[in-house]
Amino acid sequence: MGTGWLSYPQLLVAKMRFTIQPEVILSHVEACPDAGGFVCFEGRVRNEHLGKDVVALEYEAHPEMAIAQGEQLLAEAIERFRLIDAVCVHRVGRLDVGELAVKIDVSAAHRREAFAGCEFIIDELKKRVPIWKKEHYADGNSGWIGIQEQPVTVDSVYDRQMRLPEVGVEGQNRLRQARVLVVGAGGLGCAAIPYLVAAGVGTVGICDGERVHVSNLHRQPMYGPGDIGLLKVDRVAVACGRLSPFVQVNAYPEQLTVENAEGMVKGYDIVIDGTDNFRTKFVLNRTCTSLGKPLIVAGIYKFDGQLLVIVPRGSGGCLRCVWPTEPTDGRIGTCADVGVLGFVPGLFGVQQAAEAIKLILGLPSAATSNVVVQNLLDGTQVLLPRAVSPDCPICSGIATVSD
Amino acid sequence: MKVVVSYYASLREERGHGQETVNIEPISVSELYKQLNLTLPIEIIRFAVNNQFVPAGEMLSDGDRVAFIPPVAGG
Repeated sequence: MGTGWLSYPQLLVAKMRFTIQPEVILSHVEACPDAGGFVCFEGRVRNEHLGKDVVALEYEAHPEMAIAQGEQLLAEAIERFRLIDAVCVHRVGRLDVGELAVKIDVSAAHRREAFAGCEFIIDELKKRVPIWKKEHYADGNSGWIGIQEQPVTVDSVYDRQMRLPEVGVEGQNRLRQARVLVVGAGGLGCAAIPYLVAAGVGTVGICDGERVHVSNLHRQPMYGPGDIGLLKVDRVAVACGRLSPFVQVNAYPEQLTVENAEGMVKGYDIVIDGTDNFRTKFVLNRTCTSLGKPLIVAGIYKFDGQLLVIVPRGSGGCLRCVWPTEPTDGRIGTCADVGVLGFVPGLFGVQQAAEAIKLILGLPSAATSNVVVQNLLDGTQVLLPRAVSPDCPICSGIATVSD
Repeated sequence: MKVVVSYYASLREERGHGQETVNIEPISVSELYKQLNLTLPIEIIRFAVNNQFVPAGEMLSDGDRVAFIPPVAGG
């Protein structure tokens, strides 16, 4: 074959999880007392590709890079999906139809993590690890398929939005450099996040410590029944990875608190509040105001919702200027208590993404100086102008952490 | 005198409709809220008259458009 792959076994050292070899695959993960779910993925040579009859495949790798990338990917999957172990073997050389080309074995405490982790590994493997395949067709022709090859470029993906004078090349660059933190991956976050990612916002952070519950599915369309019990941020990160190759997604599997808020927020340019309680909204308001970060707040009640963009030191003041005392959740009703239809947080979440994108592009918004009050049942909207409250402890600079 | 009152979120449900015209004596916007006997505590409500936030003591005039805005946090 002359491609050098015969030297690969020299690269294999003990405890490596990712291997490349010409030989038949015999890998597996070891049983251990705390592993209850084992998932194995086998990728085999298929006899068809895009309408052409395939008779064989030939795999070639950049061995050092492939192993380094593969090891990193498996370590990341183990951490992200709380796997107990994960191994992957990719064959190289010529393989006939039906032969095993790649095998991934993972173990986890429960099946859900194991399935999710295994899917993540094969999806990412195809994107990141430098292994190429040559297809041999029944008609005698052949062609290389770059596994890493991105059929998409910045210019092609964002062509339609870059045509807008409000975006253009410069605006797209701004979007790419922007860092947006979304706190809460529920009804609001599930709507905001895909539009941020699709528009090419360069870095999207997602903070949520909750796991997917069956009662979330009707209004949080980034999750399906197979995600129940898994960490929301992990599922969102996987979904975003599918949406765009250009976006860095940072997943924080924790609730935002007074203690971690500053550390979380300071690495971002803009924060979207997708939370469902005033305790966290107030913490975000104080943190973003003191760090000088714009905060995009939304809240809903059945078919009603409110949207406001808090610009640091803006004439519209902050959230405390609108709501001087923290409303307790028992008095205002939660989605769990009063019910909710998914499109209500959905429409407000999309508007939050729109406000973030407009801030990045320097476009105007009524929400920076008003509370936007909308009712989605009768279609009414009221703009209530905001102003700095002379009694606001935050805008007057006298708030303490306990406020 | 007459004012047009708009209700939002749970106030709308409690009142049974989103808007109504009420006949009142010259009173403040918070006194009107109290007269309506709504269950949400007055401390958490924001008052708007003619699409502007106003303080609780704002006196109402004939033809004013009043809105009672409760905080909402669902998401």
